[in-house]
Amino acid sequence: MSTGPVSWEAPATLDEALALRARHGDEATVVAGGTFLGILLNQGFIRPVRLLSLGRVAGLREIEVAGGELRLGAMATHRNVERHPGVREGWPAIAHAFSVVASRRVRNQATVGGVLADADYASDPPAVLAAHDARVVLRSPAAEREVRISELIRGYYETCIASEELLVGVRVPPAPQRAVYRKFRSRSREDRPCVAVAAARAGDELRVVVGAVAQTPQAFPEVCAAAAGRRPDRALAEEVGRRYAERIEPLADARGSAAYRRRVTAVEVRRAVEALAEEAPDGARAADGRAGREGRP
Amino acid sequence: MTVEVVLNGRRAALECAADEMLLEVLRREGLGSVRATCGIGVCGACTVLVDGEPISGCLMLAAQAEGREVTTVEGLEGRHPVQRAFVEAHAFQCGWCTPGFVLTAKRLLEESPDPSDEEIVEALDGNLCRCGSYVKIVDAVRRAAAGGDGRTSSAS
Amino acid sequence: MIAVGVDPRVTGAQRYSVDVEREGMLHAAFVRSPHAHAEVREVDASAVPAECVVLVPEDVAGLGPCGCQARDQHVLAGPARYAGDVVAAVAAPTREAARAAARLVEVDYEERPAVFDAVAAVAPGAPLLHADAAASAQDAVSIGVRPLAGTNVCHRFQIHHGDVAAGFAEADVVVEEAFRTAGAAHAPMEPHAALAEWEDGRLTVWTGTQTPFNTRTDLAGLFGLAEEDVRIVAPPMGGSFGAKTFVRTEAVVAALARKAGRPVKVVLDRTEEFVTLNRHPATIRVRIGARRDGTLVAKELDCWVDTGAYADCGPGVATKLGYAGVGPYRIPHVRVDSLAVYTNLPPNGAYRGYGAMQSVWASERTMDVLADRLGVSPLELRRRNLLHDGDRFATGEVMHDVQFERCLQAAADAVGYEDDPRGKGLCVLLKGMQTPSRAAIVVERTPVGFLLRSAGCEMGQGVRQSLRLQGAALLDCEPGQIEVPDPDTDTTPYDTRTTSSRTTHMMGRALAEAVADLRSNGAGRGFGEIVNEGGLDPDTGQGVASTHWHQGAAAARVAVDEETGKVTIRDLHAAVYAGRVVHREGAELQNEGSMVMGLGTAMFEALDVGEGQIANANLSDYNLPALGDLPARFTHELVEREGAEVHGLGETALPPVPAAIGNALYSLGLDVRELPITAERVLDAVDGREGAGKAAA
Repeated sequence: MSTGPVSWEAPATLDEALALRARHGDEATVVAGGTFLGILLNQGFIRPVRLLSLGRVAGLREIEVAGGELRLGAMATHRNVERHPGVREGWPAIAHAFSVVASRRVRNQATVGGVLADADYASDPPAVLAAHDARVVLRSPAAEREVRISELIRGYYETCIASEELLVGVRVPPAPQRAVYRKFRSRSREDRPCVAVAAARAGDELRVVVGAVAQTPQAFPEVCAAAAGRRPDRALAEEVGRRYAERIEPLADARGSAAYRRRVTAVEVRRAVEALAEEAPDGARAADGRAGREGRP
Repeated sequence: MTVEVVLNGRRAALECAADEMLLEVLRREGLGSVRATCGIGVCGACTVLVDGEPISGCLMLAAQAEGREVTTVEGLEGRHPVQRAFVEAHAFQCGWCTPGFVLTAKRLLEESPDPSDEEIVEALDGNLCRCGSYVKIVDAVRRAAAGGDGRTSSAS
Repeated sequence: MIAVGVDPRVTGAQRYSVDVEREGMLHAAFVRSPHAHAEVREVDASAVPAECVVLVPEDVAGLGPCGCQARDQHVLAGPARYAGDVVAAVAAPTREAARAAARLVEVDYEERPAVFDAVAAVAPGAPLLHADAAASAQDAVSIGVRPLAGTNVCHRFQIHHGDVAAGFAEADVVVEEAFRTAGAAHAPMEPHAALAEWEDGRLTVWTGTQTPFNTRTDLAGLFGLAEEDVRIVAPPMGGSFGAKTFVRTEAVVAALARKAGRPVKVVLDRTEEFVTLNRHPATIRVRIGARRDGTLVAKELDCWVDTGAYADCGPGVATKLGYAGVGPYRIPHVRVDSLAVYTNLPPNGAYRGYGAMQSVWASERTMDVLADRLGVSPLELRRRNLLHDGDRFATGEVMHDVQFERCLQAAADAVGYEDDPRGKGLCVLLKGMQTPSRAAIVVERTPVGFLLRSAGCEMGQGVRQSLRLQGAALLDCEPGQIEVPDPDTDTTPYDTRTTSSRTTHMMGRALAEAVADLRSNGAGRGFGEIVNEGGLDPDTGQGVASTHWHQGAAAARVAVDEETGKVTIRDLHAAVYAGRVVHREGAELQNEGSMVMGLGTAMFEALDVGEGQIANANLSDYNLPALGDLPARFTHELVEREGAEVHGLGETALPPVPAAIGNALYSLGLDVRELPITAERVLDAVDGREGAGKAAA
């Protein structure tokens, strides 16, 4: 709690919100879903003087499929994404990744924009969106730009969002042929991930992004490029896994040591790449990675 | 500031600071079933329904509830089929986490009146019970589902 | 309008110790040392707003010390002996104001060397935490504390039974193994809460506690009052599991209230919960000898039990850990050496199982190693050596109403152990009930039925319902006609404390006496008291450890992902001896709850203590078991016997769970020695089994 009264701004339009953002910059703490902010407030890590809520801003909540592209509004909740028929059908790995975040309570409140802007290293959506080559839309009063996830997230809780910008949406290109998201938890089923792997195959191109092991989602395009055009068999999957494990600089936290993360990365990347090669009757089966969760590889 | 909500079926004007959480504000209104426990939205003991959906009262700013329907377990008045089922199954020990489970189960059964075991686990997995009453809690949810109408007497 | 008569736990109407309010009350916040070991040179509260009341060392210089088994605690710490030790406190009109003010108190510390491991703390040259730990005179349940002067050992418990040297000489096979268990948090959902108020020199404290009379005694001693001038009221708790025992926040809050001249209330936040009271980490070495035919001949246990910065009931825990580690077996020669050792970590105290989990882990894992060496089935090895009625235990006491074999067989059958033991593990245990102890109860007639005055404290275990059911049977009325108010030391007769799974048994017996008294004296009131005599000589371990034994067994079946070390528990069963069940649902919940807590202990609960700081002091970094963590098959049974007495079972199903899982892994060649059984440790065990270095990453 602050020492003086905290002000609350709840603009109704994006233009108003951007104007407030431009005026106050980082002196105004943006409130999207509020789950991450709530943790920071409860722990006393921040004492904002001004809160800028996006809750009333028109047009930020939409989820739509237009021209083959998926557009997620920044204020769409995780639960909205998880349940949207268009996402489940067209981008099942994205629906799945959003569905395994935390609990229903968190997913009812936390937003697409918030989770990206928070840049928490253990979050699920950044890795899976990166594997789908998604672009984040940043708006300022004067301009709009799109950045890849790899450009957006710079480090622990650090993004490239400028102090006059707001994250307003995410654009995802037409779905790859196959995509999976695997979330390896080393402890409780309710734990944050120890290692998470998003993998996608679009024609010859392979994309693999590993989350929760380092400050930022880890992707090694040169490793994936070397896999292009090769038979997607176990040997290839193993090689990709091994090379990813060699390249990451893993962190240690309550979920595992750096050494353990490195070992599991090799295994989980291999399993994700193998899952891409599986014949599946429907996208959801390949996307959920559930097969590997209970001890069967 | 004043936050206008519909609280357990009645219009209410909640006086609060902009950085106060719904949990604190509701407790000030005498709704002692919403309990400060972990402070990080993990345990679910402060679960509140906002527009019928469970959220963590400790992570939602009261101001974010403006114009919305807010339901705590007091709003069910002890009459909801889920509450009856919890009593029949004796699905509690100290009772601290029970309101959160009741509200979460209420919402589950509205969405899915005959949930599979996997659905029950997935829906309730985010509510912690340190006393470890999980077996009977699942039994209670199954009883409430079997008892028929998960959609009756919603206060919100 | 809330429907009448519906259980308040389900309507949300239930209120707990956090909800107590008194007119004019202030709220407290504590100033805690960031250092694990430091002299408190100066406390400067000059920046604190005038409306606040600050408690500084000078205010409490004349008070204390206190402590239930060793009087080594003071109201404010000086020196600070762990990171989190309370060195000052503030009271203010709101909790937020108190917390803000506490941050303005400046403390000048001079750091001292610190030690964070019990084995290291007894090594020569280790920093000493307490120059002189005076044994507590007040402990109504005297265990005869045995500190080793000039060391960090605040208690040494020994068992000398037979002649171990001779015993080992007779052994054909000797196995010696070492084990460790991590510290853990009780993590009750409701935090610690207490409210103190003085009136005319009398102190009243409303507090979530399992030990109202012990707390009264300690506070009276601290403030120089007669016990009758201290009143403890114990509202229901939102869980406790041992965390809310003895003096925790009550002394500071009482001192603040005295200085402020107003009631003062404190409610801890979740981070503070992790530095208030935890579970004893332990390092245990087991040496066991058997004849070729599997008969056990000798056993030695050496235990280093980390009691943290203050002894609390560490001596009692080290004692119970010591004799529980012998196991429910006939062993003619036994030596146990169990040390309760100070370290610069938050104090450790009563935790569901009371030391049994730690030594059962070591002892029962060793049994499977021994079985392996003997080429005998783990089930068969146990069966050959289990105690029967009339056998003498290592404490010299004769066993009666023995059900170990029945429990063990039930557990084995539940997982089909004898059909195929691969991937399956067993554990059988004995655990003591607080001995000696006293329980007393008053029964009064009321217009609608009866009222019971019992100091049994409600923490979710259902003590009130259990008393109502027992009362209804004795008084020939409905349970709903019996009122059971909250414990209040002004009106409730003395009871040792609500721990050790003793209340249903002891209070039930006292209630029978009270009802008999009511019937015979013709007045509207009856009184009954039961005294449970016994105890062990701390130097020899001989005497009566427990007038009746908590007995149980568990079995587990596991599957392992050998590439990640992740363990899936397919099947977990506990068989617990209940004797006679009073409240069936309540008993089931205690079994289920103990098993769930056992799962957490087994698989992932561990305090990360680093350099004396609890690094995972929140419920995300410290995982509690969730619904989804339960095995697909999760079952238990209450073993009963016609004519048996009520046997407490609030804890029994916790200690065997980790050992059953550890033994199941051992059956697959995966040897894990340390709790919790993390995926990383299992992966190391996979590497160890394969005899190779780790797989190339």
